[in-house]
Formats: sequence, structure tokens, C-alpha cells
Amino acid sequence: MIAYVGFGLLACLALSIPVGITLFLLAFGIDAFFSPFPLMRALGSIIWSSSNSATLIAIPFFVLLGEILVRPGVAERTYAALDRWVSWMPGGLIHANIGTATLFSATSGSSVATAATVATVAMPQAEQLNYNPRLFSGAIAAGGTLGIMIPPSINLIVYGFLTESSIPQLFLAGLVPGLMLAALFMAATAVLCTINPKLGGPSRPASWAERLVGLKDLIPILFLFGAIVGSIYLGWATPTEAAAVGVAIALLIATLTGGLSIRVLIDSLRGAVRVTAMIMLVVIGAYVLNFALSSAGLGRALQDLMASLGLTPLMTLFVIILLYIILGFFIETLSLMVATIPIIVPIVVGLGYDPIWFGILMIILVEMALITPPVGLNLFVVQGARRSGSFSDVMVGAVPYALVMLVMVGLLILFPQIALFLPSTL
Amino acid sequence: MDQLIDRAVWFLRRANEVIALVAGLALLATVALILLDIVLRQLHTETLGGTDEVSGYVMAITTAWAMSYALTRLAHVRIDLVRNQLPGAGRALFDVIALWTLAATAIFIALQTWPVLARSLRLESTANTSLATPLWIPQALWFGGWFWFALSASALALALVWFALRRDVERAEAVGGAGSEL
Repeated sequence: MIAYVGFGLLACLALSIPVGITLFLLAFGIDAFFSPFPLMRALGSIIWSSSNSATLIAIPFFVLLGEILVRPGVAERTYAALDRWVSWMPGGLIHANIGTATLFSATSGSSVATAATVATVAMPQAEQLNYNPRLFSGAIAAGGTLGIMIPPSINLIVYGFLTESSIPQLFLAGLVPGLMLAALFMAATAVLCTINPKLGGPSRPASWAERLVGLKDLIPILFLFGAIVGSIYLGWATPTEAAAVGVAIALLIATLTGGLSIRVLIDSLRGAVRVTAMIMLVVIGAYVLNFALSSAGLGRALQDLMASLGLTPLMTLFVIILLYIILGFFIETLSLMVATIPIIVPIVVGLGYDPIWFGILMIILVEMALITPPVGLNLFVVQGARRSGSFSDVMVGAVPYALVMLVMVGLLILFPQIALFLPSTL
Repeated sequence: MDQLIDRAVWFLRRANEVIALVAGLALLATVALILLDIVLRQLHTETLGGTDEVSGYVMAITTAWAMSYALTRLAHVRIDLVRNQLPGAGRALFDVIALWTLAATAIFIALQTWPVLARSLRLESTANTSLATPLWIPQALWFGGWFWFALSASALALALVWFALRRDVERAEAVGGAGSEL
């Protein structure tokens, strides 16, 4: 049954059948071949109960928040302000790329949107100031991936929903590793640019006066982030309520900065609806597949499989990590997560690992998928924002950051507390 | 015939844009409802009650109707790695397979959602909450969304085959291509 799902998944995806539909087809197949009793009579009720969810409505809210706020106008000011704070390090503006991406990750739940906005704002600067395009664009692609790690994160909501783990705990677990990754990205940039200054650009010192002036452009976004994460942490609000408050604050910020028009609002609403459908088709498909797999006795099949392999838990974990790295070359983020959760998470939890911890580990691995060719959405997005140059520039530039992510995976395995400390204080 | 299909596809797009806007406004209204609930709770006066329940219904209904909009915007995720390596005819074949599988699944889903609504109508079921919402109301709107998805998908699947057979690459890509939009 596991082999059937694995091969079926790859075959349907290679045929370019939509990912969500592929998951439905696999569930239908399990019903037909592996289940002693018909499962799909329950399909209607499963679809109703999986989408009738006050938890999942946080997804369109967070998407809407991003659509309203993550616009070039706000991004330009943020970028300019962060430039003064971080570009004194070796590598210059590249640090501002990472910083802006990090800050936008803290308001947007999506990596692609984050990378797209930062790229639109940063790319003209690179061309103007004659930066080497490789590391510069690689940093945007990599920094953008933090969008799914630093809360709020749509991917973590989906993970929590499908594995029945606590979304507030997942959000808190993602905070420290996300910030650590951003710091490691910057450290790697500084080291590389010290060794070979041609990789980056001149450092850009700024006076403290300039920095303090710039702070006023950072405060609205930091406030928004604090309101969302703080209210969840203090237990004042559920993620859905925090998301609703976030939408209201984003509307306020956009109004005050003059970025809100009827046109923007209509586009944002339609954008949120479109992205929601895109996510929900995959999520409902995974939910149905989950149901079919567990009804048809997945647990038993997994036990047999693990027993026959005879690996230690740590070795199994390494095999799983390798699997994600390989699949990540070809499958994009959310699809990769959702399609593998029904099988992989029960294995990992069965081995005695913490599901919250594994959620964060999985996020780092799918972040890598975003910047590894041939299918790396963030690479495409950044390349799309460039006016010239080849795709391989972005690809090569992202390699150091992909390696940093691998280091982070190692750290997380050695020190699970990096992820688990903050949620344990809840 | 081309003109007729063009017009049908145009109508479908237009209708879905309106639907998407209405769904977006419903989301915005839900945001307002949740905020009101939070404020009332802080004031320690009576809470609205049932905000969670209404949010859930809005999510289920929005999701159902949004499916068709995402379809006309070519937004449903496809892994186009192999597809993009193929010559024109191969691409068209992959697009037809993808859209026909989607349409067939959408029809099956729509058929399976009907019994849920029918049961609520027959038993006059109400939600097990303080609102005691008659379930057929949200479920009818929800069923309508999936039904519309099946209808749109079938129409687009037929249009795609027509254009593909006529080797009208541009129109075929517009109806059933792999979205370059991210």
C-alpha cells in the first residue's frame, strides 16, 4: 500500500495532474484496492467537516493580510530603513535583503509572496550599484523562505491541522529557528564577502541619527508582528482571532501610509480567495487521503515496513531527510508537505520524536525545496523580478544558503530545544 | 463555434471574478464579526456566541466557491516539470489529461456532497450549538460551490479539447495551460 501511494503519487505528479486532484485519486485507489469496505461514501461528509473549520479560516486571513501589506510601497520604506541598520556588515545591501525578507516573513504567511516583494524592491538597487547578481539574488530567494517558518505561517497551520497538533505551539516553535536561520544567513554572507569582497558590495555605514529616523518605518510592521504573536503567546487570542486582528491592523497601516485604494482592496480580496482555493484543494485532498490510509490500515503497514528495514530511529530520520531533499528538487513546498504528512508523520511520531519538533524540521526541509533547482519557486520569483541575467545566477547564489539550511537541520537534531523551548513555556 | 466558446469562457471568467469578490467580502465580514466578538469579550458584556461556528461555515462555503475561480485563473498547483519539456502536442495532451481528471474528480465530489445536504434536509438537522443553525442553509451554499466547480471544470475541459483539436495553442493554453502565475 505504501509503495502504491509512493509510485502513484510520483506518476500522477509527473503527468502534471493537479496536486490536490492527485491526492483524491490516490484515496480513490486505496478505497478500490486496499480497503475491505467502501470508504468513499463518506467523501461528502469528510469534505464538509474538513473545510467547515474555524481554525482553517486563519489561512485566508493571513493571505489577505499579506496581500494588503506586502506591497512595494511599504517594502521600499522598510528596505531603506533596514539598509541603514544592517548594511554596514561585509556584503553591504545583501544584509538588507535578508533583513527585509525576515521582517516581511513575520507578517506574511507565504514565502513566495515575501520573495516576490523583496525582489521587486531590491533588484533595481543591485543593478544601480553594480552588485554581483549571484549572492544578491540568492539572498532574496533564501530570505524569502523564512515566510513559512517565522509565524504566522500558513504551512504550520496546515501541518497542525493535518497532524492534530497545537498551532500556537507550532508558531512559537518556529520563531527561534526562523530568527536563527536569518542570523546564520547574514553570518554566512559576511564570511563569504570577507573572504571574497567581489561577491557582495561595499559596506554601507550609516549614522545612528539616520537609523533612528528609519525606525519609524519599521515600527508599524514590528507592531503588527507583536500583536499577532504576542496575543497568541499570552493566550488572549486563538490563531484565527489573531489573524483577524492582523487583517484590521494591516488595513489601518495601509490606510495611514496611503497604500489603500478600492482597487488594492478588491485585488487583495480576489488574491486571498484564489490562494485559499489553491491551498484548500491540496489540504482537503490530503485530508481525504489521510482518512483512506488510516481506514485501510496504514499503521499496520508502516509497522511492517519499519520492522523489515530494521533501521535505528536516527537512521530512519536521516533517510526521511534525504527523501525530502530529493523530492524537494522537484515538488514545491506546500504540496510536498501535504502529500507526505499522511505517511511520514506517523512514522516519525512512532519512532518517539516530537510532532511539533518534526514540524519545524520539515519546514526547514521544504524551505530548501523552495531554493533548489530545477523546481524552486523562490528562484523563479527572483529571476522573474530581474530584467537581465541568466537563471543560473540565482541558482548558484542560493547554494550557500541551502547549505546553511542543512547546518540548521543538524543543529535542530542535536539541540531539539531550539524549537521546543519556547512552546514549553506556554 | 470558436466565437461561441470564446464567449462562454469569457462569461465563466467574469462570473468567477464576481464570485471571488463576494467570497472575499464574506471573509472581510467574518473579520469584522470576530473583532466585534473580541471587543465584547473584553468589555465583559455578553459575547455574540457562535462566532466560531459562523467562521467555519464561511470557510467551507468560501472554499467551495473559490475552487472554480482558482481554476479559471489556472492557479491549482501542477508540477509542470515534465510537461514543459515536451513539444506542443505533448503539452496539449498533458493539459487535456490534467483538466479531464480534474473535471471527473470535481463531478464525483459534487455528487458526493449532495447526500450530505439531502440528509440535513430530510432530517431537518440542526447544529449541536447554541445557534442551532439549520444545517441545510450553510450546506446548500457549500454544495452550490462544489456543483459550480464541477460545471465550470466540465465546460473548460470541453473547450480545451476543442481548441486542442483545432491546434489553437494560444486559446488552449489560456483555458487549460499550466499557470505561470505563482
